[in-house]
Amino acid sequence: MEPSFHPSLLQDFIGTHAALLRRTVGAVSVVAGLAAPSLLANPAPDAGQDQSLEFFEKKVRPILVNHCYTCHSAETKPAGGLRVDDRNGLIMGGDEGPAVVPGNPDKSLLLTRVQRNHAKVMPKEGELLTDTQIADLSQWIKDGATWPRERIPASIGRASAEYDKLKAEHWAWQPLKAPAVPAVKDTGWARDTIDQFILAKLEEKQLSPVADADKVTLIRRVTYDLTGLPPKPEDVYAFLKDSSDNAFAKVVDRLLQSQQFAEQWGRHWLDVARYGESTGPSRNIPYPHAWKYRDYVLDAVNRDIPYDQFIREQIAGDLLPAESSTERDRLLTATGFLALGVKDVNQRFKVRFTMDNVDEQIDAVTRSVLGLTVSCARCHDHKFDPIPVTDYYALAGIFTSTDHCAGVRNKMGGGGLDYYDPAMLVKLASDAPPVPEGDVEKLKAQVAEAKEAWDKIRGTPEGLARGANGQPKQRAFRLKFDRLQGDLLALTDPAARGHAVHGVRDAKTVADTEVRIRGEAERLGPTVPRGFLSAFQVPGTEPINPQQSGRLELAKWLTSANNPLTGRVIVNRVWQSLFGTGIVNTVDNFGINGGQPSHPELLDYLTQEFVRDGWSLKKLVRRVVLSRSYQLGVDAPDANREVDPANRLVWRHSPRRLTAEEIRDTLLVTSGQIQPKPEASAAKELRMIEMRDNGAEAASIHRAADKSLSRSVYLPLLRGVTPGNLQAFDPVEQTLVTGQRDATTVPTQALYLLNSPFVRKEALALASKAAGDTARTAGDWVRQIYLLTLGRSPSDVEAARAEQFLADYESTYQAELGDAPVLAQADVRESSDTSTTDETAAKPPVVPENPDNVDRSDQVVVDEAVVAPDAKTAAWLNLVQALYASAEFRFVR
Amino acid sequence: MFRSPQSPQLSRRTVLRSSGAGFGYLALAGLLGQDALKSQASAAVEQPLLPKAPVLPTKAKRIIFIFMEGAMSQHDTFDYKPELIRSNGKSGPGGGTVTASKFRFKQYGETGTYFSELLPNIAKHADKMCWLRGLHTDTPAHPQAVVQLHTGSANAALTRPSMGSWLLYGLGTDNQDLPGYVTINPPPNFGGAVNYGSAFLPAHYQGTRITDQGYLPNLKAASAAKLQRKQLDLIQGMNRDFARQAGSPDPVDGIIASYELGFRMQDKVPELLDISKEPEHIRDAYGIKDGAAGSFARQCLMARRLSEAGVRFVEICQGGWDHHNNLHKGLLDRTASIDQPTAALLSDLEARGMLNDTLVLFGSEFGRLPTAQGQDGRDHNITGYSMFLAGAGVKKGFTYGATDELGIKAVDGRMHTNDLHATLLALMGLDHERLTYRYAGRDFRLTDVAGEVVKDIFA
Repeated sequence: MEPSFHPSLLQDFIGTHAALLRRTVGAVSVVAGLAAPSLLANPAPDAGQDQSLEFFEKKVRPILVNHCYTCHSAETKPAGGLRVDDRNGLIMGGDEGPAVVPGNPDKSLLLTRVQRNHAKVMPKEGELLTDTQIADLSQWIKDGATWPRERIPASIGRASAEYDKLKAEHWAWQPLKAPAVPAVKDTGWARDTIDQFILAKLEEKQLSPVADADKVTLIRRVTYDLTGLPPKPEDVYAFLKDSSDNAFAKVVDRLLQSQQFAEQWGRHWLDVARYGESTGPSRNIPYPHAWKYRDYVLDAVNRDIPYDQFIREQIAGDLLPAESSTERDRLLTATGFLALGVKDVNQRFKVRFTMDNVDEQIDAVTRSVLGLTVSCARCHDHKFDPIPVTDYYALAGIFTSTDHCAGVRNKMGGGGLDYYDPAMLVKLASDAPPVPEGDVEKLKAQVAEAKEAWDKIRGTPEGLARGANGQPKQRAFRLKFDRLQGDLLALTDPAARGHAVHGVRDAKTVADTEVRIRGEAERLGPTVPRGFLSAFQVPGTEPINPQQSGRLELAKWLTSANNPLTGRVIVNRVWQSLFGTGIVNTVDNFGINGGQPSHPELLDYLTQEFVRDGWSLKKLVRRVVLSRSYQLGVDAPDANREVDPANRLVWRHSPRRLTAEEIRDTLLVTSGQIQPKPEASAAKELRMIEMRDNGAEAASIHRAADKSLSRSVYLPLLRGVTPGNLQAFDPVEQTLVTGQRDATTVPTQALYLLNSPFVRKEALALASKAAGDTARTAGDWVRQIYLLTLGRSPSDVEAARAEQFLADYESTYQAELGDAPVLAQADVRESSDTSTTDETAAKPPVVPENPDNVDRSDQVVVDEAVVAPDAKTAAWLNLVQALYASAEFRFVR
Repeated sequence: MFRSPQSPQLSRRTVLRSSGAGFGYLALAGLLGQDALKSQASAAVEQPLLPKAPVLPTKAKRIIFIFMEGAMSQHDTFDYKPELIRSNGKSGPGGGTVTASKFRFKQYGETGTYFSELLPNIAKHADKMCWLRGLHTDTPAHPQAVVQLHTGSANAALTRPSMGSWLLYGLGTDNQDLPGYVTINPPPNFGGAVNYGSAFLPAHYQGTRITDQGYLPNLKAASAAKLQRKQLDLIQGMNRDFARQAGSPDPVDGIIASYELGFRMQDKVPELLDISKEPEHIRDAYGIKDGAAGSFARQCLMARRLSEAGVRFVEICQGGWDHHNNLHKGLLDRTASIDQPTAALLSDLEARGMLNDTLVLFGSEFGRLPTAQGQDGRDHNITGYSMFLAGAGVKKGFTYGATDELGIKAVDGRMHTNDLHATLLALMGLDHERLTYRYAGRDFRLTDVAGEVVKDIFA
């Protein structure tokens, strides 16, 4: 029977199970009292316990330390999957089964393997055990394999007056209020209730909002905010000409319905969902199916799936009803949210791998949906927020009862496909495309043939003889056999054929889990029933179905209209995306350490409205951008700046810098080179094998990203392999939940815009149109280029300056270089796949057996030139590029 | 025609700007105290990499980290243990057969420090070195240990900023024309970019990766200087107009400055990384040659040039030390590639007086066992290993800490990776407990919640 722990059960538990527990060696001794301060955390063990412990410490532990630790301990490694420095490690055992079965020496591998007559006697190195030592081990196992007890900190589960106070006082976990709409003095200004909330605060501080933005500014702003792209010149013209009252609403509705809206707002969610197409540190294994989750997100945003449903799908899609196999596949794909985090596949110990992944999931879920840092409570009660360690493990039990199907397993020091576990992928429900039988038969024959050839030459003098490349000749046979086997698998394994996703499913065994003392996976404390946070109450919460993991109930608890955080957090994220700063400026942290809301009543009002509108993101966005507050100009009178320098009260519209994606996408759109959505991701072609920064796989990803002409949301986004064309402008840190992008100013941005081949190529594409057009004047084209890049016409002075520049540049170019296109040269990414080949050929590796000894020296860098065909085009190229590089270009005002 | 109304009014630059710099600025408040903050506020925000005053007495101004990735065997190079020879062939504690080195050791310098015959040149600097011989770390696997050595934590689920980015965050850098944190030829695996990343610190604190050929993306001017200047003048003209508009975004001044800096970097950085201009005798001393074989020598010489130019943190790297097998030949090959250049770097720094303000750190993510693995190998050991420091702020010819007589476990002067980081920060004038950055609701440090400064090694 598992010791259980819950405030209401505690007294029972202590009363009835304490004695039993005391006999359960290696498990929990006793638990500190929630309402029983007189109970000791670690009462004196009984006498028998004392003796067997002494026996263990004197006789048994020295054997383990002196003869086994070098290969089987936390400080070294778990050879064969076994560790002997932890009782659970011994009981779970290694690859061959349990090493210790308490009470049963005959069934304990630990004992069998140290017998001198065993074929694979342990220890492998050093002296064998003496008969006395073997007898001691046997006795110890027979007596129940006693191990020192875990000391349970007295604080675990103890009620805290401080927590009660925080629960009662902190604004974020109080129920939503229905605030009264404030009265304002200037009754003519507000267009929406939102505006009344904004204006009331401004009036309180004796501030006035600045004038409204002009239409040119406004359409550029709303087009970027809603789609991440600049408005087309014809859209600007149309908006300017439209003098109807709902002209702006028409623009907004057009944008909301566009696929580009989903691309922009889907990307916002991918930031929060720490989306990445590989495991990241420490061994970077690609997630070849991750793009399906990306597409799921974009599709959900496009269809305006209600936000509560969107969250339920991502956390428990596999447990939700589905009417068709297509819908089932969609829901399974949604759970990629939980699976696509950072994973340390090189983790030696399964239990640590599991608990680290659980922690990663708890962090992703709680920070993205609730704006709470629940992960802080992994090792101890949260220092700031009322989140006890027991709440953390109540949630952890939900995730330990869930199979984490990212397609990887943990292993220390593996290579090749060692980390790939196709059984740990989620197979899609719809029928897999039929296997081309003819191809399979043909391949099977080839595999058989290759195997025969390999068997024949293997180990023979001919096979072992070294070839010209210094390798044994038989190696080529082995490689051929491996390759064909891989090809066959690729055809027959549904996962390898892409008919699978990274996601989750309920585990075979569903159970509550133990508190881990100080967060250490092996140190088991009391078991906590699965459940949710106790910082706030959510009326109507369903109890967890004991037959399931509890993810479904978690999803419902998160998305209950009574959950005080979920709605506030997403409304605040939307506000930040449109105003630059959230009503709460720490969008991922609504806890005690987070920011205070600048307009708490507005936040609650909007959240209530959002829920009432069926959790529709599009309706929320529409309503906010149609408010007058959103449409303010950017003027910044000193008087206002002095009172509220950060513009928290929204007396103007704060300009924002474009994101890395928006900059790249704008270049593609303005140059006319943009291509539609690709079918998948370049990562789809990768096998789940460790990828090195300088390896052929990373090089292929960089090449694909460099060549891509699709929107940036579709670029391959493997962790640590950030596309070069996103790097300069603060791309998202893909390993972390990121609700807020940085906007730094550094010289590498200048260098990127001045010298990168991509920027020059896009500039050249647009320049070629201008230079080759005989029908229109240079003046026409200057205006067109301004319209495309800055969304406005040039002033007369600007137009004249641009034309002057063209003339000057062309003549200087000719004077310097003639018409010969010799000047433009730019760097391209190092073609490391070439250099890798060179290295292998030139220098046989010193230690070929160890795949971790990777050399990366002497990488060859090939320079690529972006060249204009003549002086005139060169002048246009440099003009277009100058506009791309201008400060105005990179800001939305 | 449609134009945005443009007004010539000059906007006032305010303190709180882009979110990245803004947070850095707020965190800085804790480091500098309010008065210092006021005077440095606009500079810190506009140019976050400007030098900042250290909070403690400064011992070193910059660091060169010579990283021997893969775990160089200390038992065959610089950790002499007579007991290892006496116990050769016997069973070792914890299992395995104690195996003495095949290489001969002898004493060097006035300190009589032992080195094996594999490192005859490095050994000549014995009397400058400050050895840390009681190091230990948490994970005996490269991916986690390499990441922990660089970021303080092996927890993959939460990526932390690297050591160099913490230094830039705390100290800025002396030369604004150069990146403040450079890593040459970093490991392509074992965490890869995490080892020089800035994680949740703003991106301008991350390491700039260059190859051992001195390659940096987008550095080569796209057109001849005269033509590019013409283009840049146009850009800057537009930028100044934009800055003059009412309510123009705050960072525009910074953008204008960044273009001038970027333009200068195009000349200065390649010039700095061009080691062909070094005098013959210097090149010979380092053993400069083309191709893969000369990689580490080139890195050493570039490291000196970068440090000399004021780069705060330079890391160079030689991999291939993971000798589970082929130990004998493997060590001969690897040490041959690093011995002369490392020694030359130390001599060169000394000759230029740079060891007075430059701190050199040499070593691996962990050590290896004195017992044998297979025919000719040694397995990982995290319980006791060595690194050496040389130069600014540390005692010369000094040894701190020791392992047991077989060199398995640190028994004296024990230093965890967190302690090493705390001590390095202290040598650079930073208090590891006060160098914090608020992220996800709490204050993070390079040393997490641990770390003791080992003052015994301070000169």
